[in-house]
Amino acid sequence: MRAIYAFGLLILIAFLGARFITKRKAFSPVNYFFSSGLIYIFLGLSLGRSGFNILSPSVLTGLTPLISLGLGWVGFLFGFQLEAKYLRRFPRKYKSLSFVQFLFVFLLCGLIFSLVLKQIYPSERTFLLYGMGLAFGLLLSINSPTLLNMASSVIPEKGNYYYLARFLVSVSGFWGIVGLALLSCFWHYPIFESKIFLRGSLLLLFSSGFPLLIGYLFHFLTKKKVSGEQMLVYFLGFVFFVSGTSFYFNLLPLYMSVVMGITYSNLTRIHEKLYPLLLSTEKPLYIIFLILIGALWEVYFDYRLALLVILMILLRFLGYLLPMPLFKVILDFPLRLPTRFGFSFLSSGGIGLAFAVSLKLAFPLPLTDVFLSAALSGILITEFISPWGVRISIFKLDEEERK
Amino acid sequence: MIPLLLIFVLMFVLKNPVLLPFANPDQSTSISLGFILVFAYLLGSHLKRLSLPLITGFILAGILCGPDVLKFITPSDVQDLDLLDGLALSLIALTAGGEMNIQRLKGRFKTVSSIVFFQTVVVLLGFVLLGFFGRSFVSFLEEGTLFQVLAFSLLLGTLSTPTSPATTIAIITETKASGKYTDLVLGSAVVKDFFVILIFAFSLSISKSVTMSSHEFDLSFLLQILEEVGGSVFLGLLIGGGIILYLKYIKRDVTVFILSVAFFSYQISHNYGYHPLLICLVAGFLAENFSAQGKLLIAAIEKSSVPIYVVFFALSGASLNLGALRQTWHLALICVVWRGVLKFAGTFFGARITKEEAGVQKWAWTGFISQAGVALGMAIVVEQNFPEWGGEFMALVLAIIAINQIIGPIFLQRLLFKVKEAGKKQ
Repeated sequence: MRAIYAFGLLILIAFLGARFITKRKAFSPVNYFFSSGLIYIFLGLSLGRSGFNILSPSVLTGLTPLISLGLGWVGFLFGFQLEAKYLRRFPRKYKSLSFVQFLFVFLLCGLIFSLVLKQIYPSERTFLLYGMGLAFGLLLSINSPTLLNMASSVIPEKGNYYYLARFLVSVSGFWGIVGLALLSCFWHYPIFESKIFLRGSLLLLFSSGFPLLIGYLFHFLTKKKVSGEQMLVYFLGFVFFVSGTSFYFNLLPLYMSVVMGITYSNLTRIHEKLYPLLLSTEKPLYIIFLILIGALWEVYFDYRLALLVILMILLRFLGYLLPMPLFKVILDFPLRLPTRFGFSFLSSGGIGLAFAVSLKLAFPLPLTDVFLSAALSGILITEFISPWGVRISIFKLDEEERK
Repeated sequence: MIPLLLIFVLMFVLKNPVLLPFANPDQSTSISLGFILVFAYLLGSHLKRLSLPLITGFILAGILCGPDVLKFITPSDVQDLDLLDGLALSLIALTAGGEMNIQRLKGRFKTVSSIVFFQTVVVLLGFVLLGFFGRSFVSFLEEGTLFQVLAFSLLLGTLSTPTSPATTIAIITETKASGKYTDLVLGSAVVKDFFVILIFAFSLSISKSVTMSSHEFDLSFLLQILEEVGGSVFLGLLIGGGIILYLKYIKRDVTVFILSVAFFSYQISHNYGYHPLLICLVAGFLAENFSAQGKLLIAAIEKSSVPIYVVFFALSGASLNLGALRQTWHLALICVVWRGVLKFAGTFFGARITKEEAGVQKWAWTGFISQAGVALGMAIVVEQNFPEWGGEFMALVLAIIAINQIIGPIFLQRLLFKVKEAGKKQ
């Protein structure tokens, strides 16, 4: 009977979504929460072991390929946007700001989380706690472009701040994912007992070289005339293959897929052919991915977890707000960088979720269950307030600049 | 050819035992799935240039990379991918049901019923005759009683009756075929699949009663099957109704909805013993014929039909039991040829009685060769119910299915090209 309840629930949510949500065009937190699909995490939660148990752990094992596809797809899409031709259009100072911002947030958050984790989990091994602290730092350094994409339809005239923020959120994920790839190669699970540097370097080489080769093969197969169905099969096949290889060798699926996406994007000349396919598969795949993330989430309450969530939210604000004036001085940035510009970077969206799940799957440890729970809670809360952040930062700053 | 070889070499290296200490063999499902998607599609495309159907390439790729040959896809991968396989089957059945348009089939209903009836009767009788006259060639039948021979051949005949609706719809989709032959083959395959489950229940009950010392007719299995079929039809109607309402009033995220319908059908049939194929056939049929939005359903599935077919047929190739084929290939080959002859005779009589044109009488049988799915499930039930000879029966059926699954799609594709219905779909 549980299957019937779940089926009913799905129809109900879709019905509510269709009737009430899509008709609201306002750029509000509630609307963003629904229209970005984040609500599906709760559907997954209700279908998972914390709810009806339709997506029980054994069913989820059968659905591992879909999780792998979801991670691979998010990574590929992210990498596909990092086309050198597009990135070259932005001034060098923008790129410097992106890196400095990443470094600041990563170091600040990584350090604080490492210290706090050491205090609240005294019995865990230190190097694991530091690894997790750094992972929190990397997670917080990631932003998602989804929110700003949605905001673009309600901003009448986009100014410099919008384009700067758009660039920063698009690129920030790259640094974070590369950081996590380094972490997962050198802190590889199962833990290397000896020759850590050599083995880590080999894994990093493989993590980068293999998707590069597959990206090239994808390009080779699609450079001649290719039909929509061929494109779909190759795309799904290669995303599964790369993501599956990373699962098989306990590497980071997100990183490997990003590398494949970057390779393909910089080789191919048929972006316009792949974009419609990516757009048409985007929603169903993303929704399924969110449902599965929700089902993977084991909900529990613990004061340490609550502390980590609060810390995540707090550091998200501090990490992005505090250093803005400092960056202006250090980089001699052409635009004014007021503190409130940092409010534009509260959302980490799908890429943040994929990051958290990717880490959990690469490190199947009890400690990473804590990471996943804290990360999902923290991300959902900051996602909810992020439209407000964009409203008081980019909307206002661009308006002031115009005046 | 270079990409095909390259991807093959890559998989060969990744699955090499040298790398096993660095690998996590429990997590090989996705890599196998990704590899088979690309490899099977590339192989299918190469075979297409030789005028063979794509799905023959998918099946061959599955056989080649499966547990019996190269072992790129392990038995545990096949097991782990069972859920995706079930999802694919549900989606294919939804499409097949959706292709059964009453308006279009109205004029062909008489021929479809006649072909189904004659094929069933002729195949059943033909296999009973084969059992009696050919028993001396089969060691375990030679030693058996007459009743055991009757049971064996009756069940073999029952399992030889169906045509795979999944293979049929895959070839129709691939060739973009439309017309009289297409409707006749698909219509008969679907209707037969439905009735063969009931016939199987009768055959099994008769077989059990003749082989038991008391010769009592065991009704329990028949009742169980009736309950399963009735339940599946009811669920199909329920889901079909749900699809109609959804497509009419919600229309949002149709792909996700269809996937969840497929998942739901698989789950419920898996947990409660219903037939996912029947559920989805009925649901698709209902949506197509009783709502204006039926086309939306088919369009949503057809958008991603190729990867679905690749997964489904490559996995069915990987699941084919080559060990059984090696053991009983000579006997299996005789049965395949005999089945073909009986299919011809059944179709010929069925078409002749309804005064169908000569082409249908002569050639339509080639569309009914494929065999899988439901026959496989039934063979397992036979094996469980007749432990004395169930094992040999199972091996023979698996071998017959293996051959028919390879040649069936080729025959059907040739038929659709021959009668010029390929490429006619708007």
